[in-house]
Amino acid sequence: MSRALAALIVVDLKLAFRDKVVIFFNYLFPLMFFFAFAEIFGGRDTVGQTVTMVLAIGILGNGLWGAGMRLVQERELHILRRFKVTPVTPLPLLAASLVTGLLVYLPAVGLTLFLAHTIYGMPYPQQWASLLAMTVLGVIAFRAIGLIVAAVVNSVQESTIVIQLLYMPMLLLSGATIPLVLLPEWARVFSRFLPASYLIGAFESILVADRTLAVNLDAAGAMLLTTLLATAVAARIFRWEKGERLDNRAKLWLAAVFAPFLALGTWSLLP
Amino acid sequence: MIRVSGLTKRYGDFTAVHGIDFEVNEGEVFGLLGPNGAGKTTTVEILEGLRPRTSGEVSVLGFDPGIQHRILKDRIGVCLQAANFPEKIRVWEAVRLFASFYSRTADGDALLRRLQLWEKRQSFYSHLSGGQKQRLALALALLNDPQLLFLDEPSAGLDPQARLEIHELVLGLRAERRTILLTTHYIEEAERLCDRVAIIDEGRIVALGTPREIQDRVIGASLIEVTAAAPLPEAPSGGWRDCDSFSLSGDRCVLSVRSRVLPATLVDLVKWLDASGVVLRDVRLQRPSLEEAFLELTGKRLRD
Ligand SMILES: Nc1ncnc2c1ncn2[C@@H]1O[C@H](COP(=O)(O)OP(=O)(O)OP(=O)(O)O)[C@@H](O)[C@H]1O
Ligand SMILES: [Mg+2]
Repeated sequence: MSRALAALIVVDLKLAFRDKVVIFFNYLFPLMFFFAFAEIFGGRDTVGQTVTMVLAIGILGNGLWGAGMRLVQERELHILRRFKVTPVTPLPLLAASLVTGLLVYLPAVGLTLFLAHTIYGMPYPQQWASLLAMTVLGVIAFRAIGLIVAAVVNSVQESTIVIQLLYMPMLLLSGATIPLVLLPEWARVFSRFLPASYLIGAFESILVADRTLAVNLDAAGAMLLTTLLATAVAARIFRWEKGERLDNRAKLWLAAVFAPFLALGTWSLLP
Repeated sequence: MIRVSGLTKRYGDFTAVHGIDFEVNEGEVFGLLGPNGAGKTTTVEILEGLRPRTSGEVSVLGFDPGIQHRILKDRIGVCLQAANFPEKIRVWEAVRLFASFYSRTADGDALLRRLQLWEKRQSFYSHLSGGQKQRLALALALLNDPQLLFLDEPSAGLDPQARLEIHELVLGLRAERRTILLTTHYIEEAERLCDRVAIIDEGRIVALGTPREIQDRVIGASLIEVTAAAPLPEAPSGGWRDCDSFSLSGDRCVLSVRSRVLPATLVDLVKWLDASGVVLRDVRLQRPSLEEAFLELTGKRLRD
């Protein structure tokens, strides 16, 4: 198991860095936003805000698109079939995807902080350990959500649709691109149920207000719980080939994956 | 090594495999020969633990592939008919990755050398030729040093040269006394590689035995063709023992005799030729080929 996991991570990492799409979505795309936001919202004073948004955009792309598409493609291309004839189980495959996503993404965090520091004079984060921990939790949670999407969809097209349905609202309504204060009331209520909102809230509190992870335990806990639930469910309903049918009850488990954030949202709206 | 009895597989209303029975013994190369859609892949993938069966008893290396598939997969080698690898994985990376899945592994470098992939070990999968891809599939099938191998159409779609290379490899594996279950729709392949063959058509086994036994069992007669130096005398009215029919060429120098029991007819014919003092220039024997046997058993040609 651990030997297989290590080997899978090594190969996944190599394949990721050989893939231009991965490079684009993890490094170039967030950087485009970085410079655009920095110009729009002004430099110095709001750079912490900008970094928060850019990190969230990167994590959304890395998780939803990166993890969500790859497995579906590999299933369609008969690549997973070859794994099916070996004794390997779904869990190391999924775990490798979580770890690879994280390792691919961490340099982007460093790069963003470096640019914010050198160009816009943002001090390096005081709570760097909390920032690192939140990054880890955020990346694996969104990877896990991507994996659960891959587990339930039947084709690349379906996967594109489902991911868009998750990606666009989280990109637009969670504060990742448009600051929440500019959104109408209904959107702000809706944002309470989006995992991305909690990611952004936590990054903001750590980066801008220099708080620690301890203050953001609700967000951190929800990320961790989602990761565990989504990975466990994805392993359970894993399909190696297109021909395998998905048990309809399995789709209900999907709701469970988002339950931590539904609970947090409901809680926050209680008077 | 493999025991199958009453194996049935249905996809919805469609029955792909209808209660087939066969056994594969240790050290033997067993072929499933049949046209497209016969149910070969379905059968093999049930044995590999990849697909559930509808009913019937199946035992592979003493395990039930429907239940104990993980331990089974650790011990068998498999070459799938339809499988792929990521485009940008290098040959040696694929070997190392798949080796990590097994509890016991053979020497990957030695395998690459044996399968003539050593020079290509740094190549991306997408840059390999069809034959090289197939050899890589074989290398990966051998990674856990399996005593039992499943090869589903190992040479389909390859050019004759690449096919010959695959044949040499399979013969090499046979010489190592590995047990092999292979499927094919090439008659020559079955004849050349297999100790025993089951001809499968529309989910049923229509003949099973050594290629020779199957040829013998079909009614298509053997042909004896004798060429004499001088015109032959009148043949006996009843012909020779067990002969079906015979004909003489226009110059009476070539005699063609069709026989159902070749040895009996041959002995009788030779006695007559000797008694007649005929000087022979040439003798040719032609047995019905497996191809003819197949045609007769299934009413189908094999190639698509
Ligand atoms: N997953 C499936 N769902 C429905 N029908 C299937 C499925 N797999 C195979 N079949 C059908 O079962 C029959 C047997 O298919 P199978 O792939 O076992 O044949 P085969 O002998 O391997 O053919 P080929 O020589 O083309 O590989 C075919 O009619 C095929 O259409
Ligand atoms: Mg087949």
